[in-house]
Amino acid sequence: MTTVTGTFEAQVSADGEWLSVTQVCRASQIDFDVVIELAELGLVSPRGTEPQQWQLPARELARLRTAARLMRDLGVNVTGAALAVELLEARRDLERRLRVLERCVQADGDDNDRLLR
Amino acid sequence: MEFRDYYQTLGVTRTATADEIKKVYRRLARKYHPDVSKELNAEAKFKEVQEAYEVLKDPEKRAAYDQLGSGAKSGQDFRPPPDWASGFEFRGGPQRQSGPGADAQFSDFFSSLFGGAGGFSQPGEGAHRGGRDHHARVDIDLEEAFSGGARTLSLQRPQQTADGRTETRSHEVKVTIPAGLTDGQQLRLAGQGEPAQGNGRAGDLYLEVHIRPHALYQLDGRDVTVTLPIAPWEAALGASVTVPTLGGEVQMRIPEQARTGQKLRLRGRGLPGDPPGDEYLQLSIALPPADSPKARAFYEQMSREFAFNPRANLGG
Repeated sequence: MTTVTGTFEAQVSADGEWLSVTQVCRASQIDFDVVIELAELGLVSPRGTEPQQWQLPARELARLRTAARLMRDLGVNVTGAALAVELLEARRDLERRLRVLERCVQADGDDNDRLLR
Repeated sequence: MEFRDYYQTLGVTRTATADEIKKVYRRLARKYHPDVSKELNAEAKFKEVQEAYEVLKDPEKRAAYDQLGSGAKSGQDFRPPPDWASGFEFRGGPQRQSGPGADAQFSDFFSSLFGGAGGFSQPGEGAHRGGRDHHARVDIDLEEAFSGGARTLSLQRPQQTADGRTETRSHEVKVTIPAGLTDGQQLRLAGQGEPAQGNGRAGDLYLEVHIRPHALYQLDGRDVTVTLPIAPWEAALGASVTVPTLGGEVQMRIPEQARTGQKLRLRGRGLPGDPPGDEYLQLSIALPPADSPKARAFYEQMSREFAFNPRANLGG
């Protein structure tokens, strides 16, 4: 059964949306204390002085949700989850750069294998 | 409904100890976790493993499952007996919130035995309960990210039925996508998550935007890179060439003495934003084939007239 629920406009400001720490905790299902710990580890970069008043960039929500899943499903602790998230992002970034370079090499000469024979 | 052999899923015997089950689960969870795994069908496999562990880690559920499953085989048609689970008491009732997070959706087999898939019902709470936040992934093309536009999303949404089971309903949301979205960006649609019960507050819907890989452009934040093949004489002498950009073709000057791998920048030709991204053209020198006597004669002439050793740095 499909329910059509109407039109919603998604608004994004120029520097990206910011979420309150309460919204972040709800959306990522991470406890407030753990968000503070992850901020101390540098995985997220909140703005504001008092943690209760913090705001976080919306794009960091994906990191927090990944960290939450790793902690819940694999039993890693907060530091381990932060480390894993950073390494996973670094891997994705390297894979992306590798694809660009491979394309450049490919355009350069698809015949390299033939020459080796 | 198909019977699921949870012991087979984890690859343990029916006599496996709780400790063995935990060890195997940890190994499989690490192997198939969708956030880290490169295995094929990792997500489906991980859900199966998680569901099996959800039952086998819990002494009461395991005992109930053992009693029922002694004769059944995986994949066989299965109906729970009418007196199913009589005499067993599941901690917190059949719909307790447990291990799996709100995203976990277990099989019909699981929910027919143990109730809701966990995550979408919280027994014992009052009638006024806030709705949960929902998350969905939206895949868009690079062209769409560049220009924005309206999209109708069809979201599969778990919903609790009157008899306490969880079923999936389809739910349509029309979203206006702003121009200049980048990969991984989150859009929040306030109040469009799980409806509230009673006077609670409805949850929010978060859309995580993913931009599909493009045949021509490689994306990095708001910047795009295109590999641009050029002829040797264009590289040597410089040239004016037509290059593709997201906003249409433009003319660009290749400098003299250009090299393969060199990157030229077209400022502001990436995804829109403040500041907008740039387009990079990564040069790749393409050689004309020596496939005719005339072409071969050209190459022979070059070899005679250029004092050029490309391997000078190799000590050759």
